[in-house]
Amino acid sequence: MRFQDARPDGRAIVYAHIQADPLVARAADLLAAATTVQRVLARAVMNGESGDPATWRTMFPTLFGPVAPAPGDPVRDRSEAILATSLEVADRGEQTRSQFRGAIVEALTERLLVIRTAPVKRERRILFDGRPTEIHPYDVTVERDGAAEAWDCKWGARGIKADVIHQLDDARRGAVEENGRLLVGLVVFDARRSCEVRLVREKGPVALDALKLIAIEGLDRLAGRKPA
Amino acid sequence: MSTIADLLSRALEGFETLAATAEPVADEYQYVTDLGTVWKARIAAVSAARGTEAAPAGADAAIEALVAEAGLVTDPHRAIDWLSTLPQIALASIGEAA
Repeated sequence: MRFQDARPDGRAIVYAHIQADPLVARAADLLAAATTVQRVLARAVMNGESGDPATWRTMFPTLFGPVAPAPGDPVRDRSEAILATSLEVADRGEQTRSQFRGAIVEALTERLLVIRTAPVKRERRILFDGRPTEIHPYDVTVERDGAAEAWDCKWGARGIKADVIHQLDDARRGAVEENGRLLVGLVVFDARRSCEVRLVREKGPVALDALKLIAIEGLDRLAGRKPA
Repeated sequence: MSTIADLLSRALEGFETLAATAEPVADEYQYVTDLGTVWKARIAAVSAARGTEAAPAGADAAIEALVAEAGLVTDPHRAIDWLSTLPQIALASIGEAA
């Protein structure tokens, strides 16, 4: 089993500009240290219609209401920063914000994984002897001897599709055939309940116990820690 | 004063609005149906356990804003994404995990 940089195509070149945008890094940095409710706030705002921050503050009383930490508290300040950053993403227009959201989930996954393990890389293909090379790279990989991992990242549960599941499972089986081990999984910035119903419909013959699912409530597991 | 059951009932109205908006996406009919099944069951379970409690501070306005936001969604694909998000926000507003 070998890892290799993906060959850049037109889509990758355009997408690389999105991935390199400072807004993506800022959002990922904030979300890496966020609570689950703060992450739900980010998902809602980035996918929402309203551009008025007051609307979102009202919608999340545990972050901004009378029972929330007071302004100046680090948790409250993070909620405010996540709200402001998410509104910036939402303001980019439908097509662009969709690309930003995907890039943010990938960058967040990378940040959480490096807390637990290394080396962590992006956009890598996995090669196996005697097997045709997959065209599509994996979003984030851990390239550690004996404890390799491959993760595909999705903004929402609708991104869980049969071809994605099969590609991950193929890679896992390829590693087993070489007497190796590759942990494969999906990181989805969406509710676990929604991901599970999607996964069951899309999995086909793939055994779900061989595929890790990390949903929005469990993102801290990537970092080897309990949810904040 | 509203109870938790009152708020969750209003949240479900928002959910139904989104489901109706999502209807034109025929390919996702099954997924939308599945979302309805699991999220309504979760909300019913919370309502059964805590329905008679008074709504916590800010939750009444939160649900009102949430349902209003759901009503603004006109794109059926975005409505499907919101079918997953609306229950999470509703439950968070009353201090419940999804």
